[in-house]
Amino acid sequence: MKTKKVSAVLATALALALTASACGDSDDGDGDNNNKNGKKAAADAALESIVNPSSKKGGTVTFEHSDVPDSLDPGNNYYGWVQNFSRLYGRSLVSFKPAAGAEGLELVPDLAESLGQPSADAKTWTYKLRKGVKFEDGTEVTSKDVKYAVERSNFAPEALSNGPTYFKAYLEGGDKYKGPYKDKNPEGIASIQTPDDHTIVFKLAKPFADFDYLATFNQTMPVPRAKDKGAAYVQNIVSSGPYKFESYNEGRSAVLVRNDQWDKSTDPIRPALPDRIEIKFKVNPTTVDQHLLNDRITVDAAGTGVQSKNQPKVLKASEKDQTDNPYAGALSYLAISTKVAPFDNIECRKAVQYAVDKASVQQALGGDTKGDVASTMLPPSVNGYAKFDMYATDGNKGDEAKAKEHLAACKQPNGFTTNLSARADRPDEIAMATAIKASLEKVGIKAEIKQFPSGKYFTNFAGNPSYVHEHKLGLMMTAWGADWPTGFGFLDQIVNGAAIKPSGGNNIQELDDPKVNQGLSDGIGMTDAAERTKKWGEVDKLVMETASAVPLIYRKNLLYRPDSAANVTVTQAYLGMYDYLLISTNKN
Amino acid sequence: MTAYLIRRLFAAMMLLLVVSAVTFAIFFLVPRLGGQSIDELAVQYVGKDANPDSVAAVKKNLGLDQPLIVQYYDFIKAIFVGAEYKFGPDASKCDAPCFGYSFRSHIEVWPEITQRIPVTLSLAVGAAVLWVISGVTIGVVSALKRGSFIDRLAMAVALLGVSLPIFFTGLLGLALFTSQWPIWESVDYIPITEDPGEWFWNLIIPWCSLAFLYSALYARLTRAGMLETMGEDYIRTARAKGLRESKVVVKHGLRAALTPIVTIFGMDFGLLVGGAIITEQVFSLQGMGAYAVQAVKDSDLPIVMGVTLVAAFFIVFCNLIVDLLYAAIDPRVRYS
Amino acid sequence: MTAPIETTAASAEAQPEAVLAGAGRSQIEGRSLGQIAWTRFKRDKAAMAGGVVVVCLVLMAALSKPIQAIFDLDPNKLNQDLVDPALQAPKGAWGGMSWDHPLGVDPGFGRDLLARVIEGSWVSLLVAVGATLVSVLIGVILGVMAGYYGGWVDSVVSRLMDTFLAFPLLLFAISLSASVQDGFWGLTGLPLRIAVLIFVIGFFAWPYIGRIVRAQTMSLREREFVEASRSLGARGPFIIFRELMPNLVAPILVYATLLIPTNILFEAALSFLGVGIAPPQASWGGMLTDAADRYESDLQYMFVPGLAIFITVLAFNLLGDGLRDALDPRSK
Repeated sequence: MKTKKVSAVLATALALALTASACGDSDDGDGDNNNKNGKKAAADAALESIVNPSSKKGGTVTFEHSDVPDSLDPGNNYYGWVQNFSRLYGRSLVSFKPAAGAEGLELVPDLAESLGQPSADAKTWTYKLRKGVKFEDGTEVTSKDVKYAVERSNFAPEALSNGPTYFKAYLEGGDKYKGPYKDKNPEGIASIQTPDDHTIVFKLAKPFADFDYLATFNQTMPVPRAKDKGAAYVQNIVSSGPYKFESYNEGRSAVLVRNDQWDKSTDPIRPALPDRIEIKFKVNPTTVDQHLLNDRITVDAAGTGVQSKNQPKVLKASEKDQTDNPYAGALSYLAISTKVAPFDNIECRKAVQYAVDKASVQQALGGDTKGDVASTMLPPSVNGYAKFDMYATDGNKGDEAKAKEHLAACKQPNGFTTNLSARADRPDEIAMATAIKASLEKVGIKAEIKQFPSGKYFTNFAGNPSYVHEHKLGLMMTAWGADWPTGFGFLDQIVNGAAIKPSGGNNIQELDDPKVNQGLSDGIGMTDAAERTKKWGEVDKLVMETASAVPLIYRKNLLYRPDSAANVTVTQAYLGMYDYLLISTNKN
Repeated sequence: MTAYLIRRLFAAMMLLLVVSAVTFAIFFLVPRLGGQSIDELAVQYVGKDANPDSVAAVKKNLGLDQPLIVQYYDFIKAIFVGAEYKFGPDASKCDAPCFGYSFRSHIEVWPEITQRIPVTLSLAVGAAVLWVISGVTIGVVSALKRGSFIDRLAMAVALLGVSLPIFFTGLLGLALFTSQWPIWESVDYIPITEDPGEWFWNLIIPWCSLAFLYSALYARLTRAGMLETMGEDYIRTARAKGLRESKVVVKHGLRAALTPIVTIFGMDFGLLVGGAIITEQVFSLQGMGAYAVQAVKDSDLPIVMGVTLVAAFFIVFCNLIVDLLYAAIDPRVRYS
Repeated sequence: MTAPIETTAASAEAQPEAVLAGAGRSQIEGRSLGQIAWTRFKRDKAAMAGGVVVVCLVLMAALSKPIQAIFDLDPNKLNQDLVDPALQAPKGAWGGMSWDHPLGVDPGFGRDLLARVIEGSWVSLLVAVGATLVSVLIGVILGVMAGYYGGWVDSVVSRLMDTFLAFPLLLFAISLSASVQDGFWGLTGLPLRIAVLIFVIGFFAWPYIGRIVRAQTMSLREREFVEASRSLGARGPFIIFRELMPNLVAPILVYATLLIPTNILFEAALSFLGVGIAPPQASWGGMLTDAADRYESDLQYMFVPGLAIFITVLAFNLLGDGLRDALDPRSK
């Protein structure tokens, strides 16, 4: 099967990448807090293995989060950690294999019996649902519930606006359908067919070989129409997974307990060891770190690592063995508008490519625990990554001479003035922008830093071309993590000409390069997985040739695993956080 | 008295109306003056997939397509009679007092506010107890021992207190006692209903930081007030009558000196309950102030409206209480 | 003073009013107010010290650009070699203090803290003084009008002041600063932020001074010299400017001096909350925000902006207290 091959290729690519990122200081000191195996795990152990393996059932896994989820409603969220977490109470058609290292990127059927059956043109995808999967109220999950879940999550922005809308974009007639709340016709959208209760067929408008990845979204977790209350569904989510909500306190906490209607025999991927899952929101971030360090909680749900200010504390020799420093699957980059003068001239963009001192940016961010210097758009943990550096400079410190050459070629030998935008409430981004501003000044480019609230950054400012043109935002700080970990999933939204939107888009450099666009649509139509994977590396090169984005940092997180956390492993499928399906506790 | 109360309550209502109108204006008129269109205002609430359709849908849903005055009227009306909102297949009812739904998360605002009131209230009450006791005591002692070493020291410290911002003293307290000498692990709000001990223990640093600032002010004010009243003729008369000095100080001196302090306390306390914004920010406490700051950054108008109104309510309410208390403290005051 | 700094609505309220009687009395004695005040002021060592510091601060702020140029203090120059990225702390003891960087460097970029404190001083003082002028202007105009004309003018202004005093000011200030977007009325970047801060801070503080001026005007209005002027046929504006204003200068001066430190705190608070001056422009409040995230690794950092604010505010407070005492014989 084609998709199997994807995984294989992916696995090899990843194994390499992950080994590279896992710096190998592994001395197995017999510390006093030995785990079951009598051996203490080393730093970065969870990158390639399951740390503290255990099959002990019971106990309470406790999560804390310094913020709130966008929504725990599987049809109304975008955050990676919620995607990861929601698998505890919902079953999507397909999921990522809960396993260590590169294996964690393999796709496995979850609610479906097997991965999707594509037609030859990759435009029709058929899934057979497992029999005997039940909602918490005992009713059997049918394909209609899956269809309804996709409809409400993608087509009802008036109520559920947080999630991605890939289904809307790819389904035939997706642009016409008004969603289940407005269009009262119970038949719903015609391009999702449910010939029987256990079969669901998706008919797409164009070939899309990555469809199985879309099927991993929690938007395919079944929702019974009768129980749906739109935005209020989050108060009473109906579980199809091993846990159900015992209580849910908006913006405060949630408690999950075992769902007695869940049948282990229908679910090969969930060990479901803990008896109870508790999550608290809006906990003071310092408290979260503190609770991890003294083993009061199991996981920091955000999965983005300890706070910068606590970094020195966990990097101490006594704690370091309990840290993991994986790639976060995200890239921080500097988008260069192709439409704002003088950056409409590629030579001026190349000048920026050479002028930026990436080593300084990395240091401003907090050194190599925060990430590695980047030279490609695709991070190493994404399928299709190919290593190259088109604008290499010595020690990544920038090359003033070359930058000036290109400035001269751009007919701006003395430099010019421009604006550099960043999100005001993201200190990391401001720090990087500050470093970039300093290095650009060395070649005569004066950039004034403009700050905008992150809540409106893409809708009203950097992602709004008319604002960008009018206010001459030549340079824009941004970051991107793939919605699914393939080259297409990563690149399509940020470099495809079709992704330029009047507002809220992510192709903020407004790159509309025929070669890049063609490369992406060729690639996603390729049924051969190996070829497809190779294609993404090529597209990456095409993007870099346009010089429209300066890759800055492949972001990394510094995660901490408390002593009591068992079955801990990093999953690259969810932006390098711990796999929440596996994690359990040694405490009672 | 009843007429007075009614008049005051009416004035308070008018004031709250003005406050809400101003908040409304800040959100809708100021961006308009800056050249933003309604579509530009609405588009931020759409999220990822902004197209003319979804912008129009959001505008309709949030009522942004209505004239400003209608939006304002609807908002006020909802507070008294509740409202219905449609964020799903069926309309959902938001009971009075309904402050609407968050523009971003569609969560009802009022329950969110009520969840946060205890945090801010705990902060304000604890600090107030501390600062009133310490501030007034220091002020009285300083006034009685005027010019002494104690007086000079107290006034010097008080001067430090009023010159140090809470975001420095609080931060310093946090840095010293949670990091340098970690007596506390961190500062977090634990509901008093959950664990009174932890509640108390966790709030000690914020209380002390806040109280330091205020007690400095109150000490200065009390001292000034005491000095003034102790020089008055009736004090001399009281002494001449042969009253014990302690009785003179407490019953005659302090009582008169306290009157202006009660007014100020009413204002300060009301303001603080309405959102100890900076303190909450310094200690990352999730009270009303922190909630409002986040909402301001997200342009989440209903939340800002809600918190502002609740804050204004506390200010007005505390002032009213203070005015009523006057009668008890100062026999000269009569309500007419 | 202005309420919002989680300080207090009325901290100064009781005090400046005490000025009034004194100012008037010295007038009656027929001696030069300035002379008496100056003699008194000179005797007050604390006030003199405050005054000297204030003068130095104002000079430093006004000359910040030349100072930075002469001593080669660039507030935005990165010295990343002086900082340990993983620890998020300057290399070397005491926050990286050295001859080159007498106050140390910031833990993020190794920028010179002395340069940044100086850079922050002009922003801080400009905003504080600007805002004070705004409140004094509005407060004096409305206060004098209310006090002089009385009647419905007085009722309207008094209502307005009561309303303002009941506003949750800091909330309004935050909302207002945040809702002004770049490009507002043709201003962008730093000038816009400064203008917004001056307006926001100044606009909300005027009722405090307005009340004092109103009360003072009311009592002056009934004095003989005003009566005399009126009987000679003088009109409102003439009386206000020639007769009342000279007698209002002293309390306004005292009050303005005491308002400046409050406004400095207000500006720092707004910057601390992220709605004031935006980094990388140096500001004291912004530096404290930065320090708040780094105290685990660089405890010294917060003392630099913290003490800068403290010394400035203290100096203005001492000066203001001294001025009040000097102008008001009763309070000594």
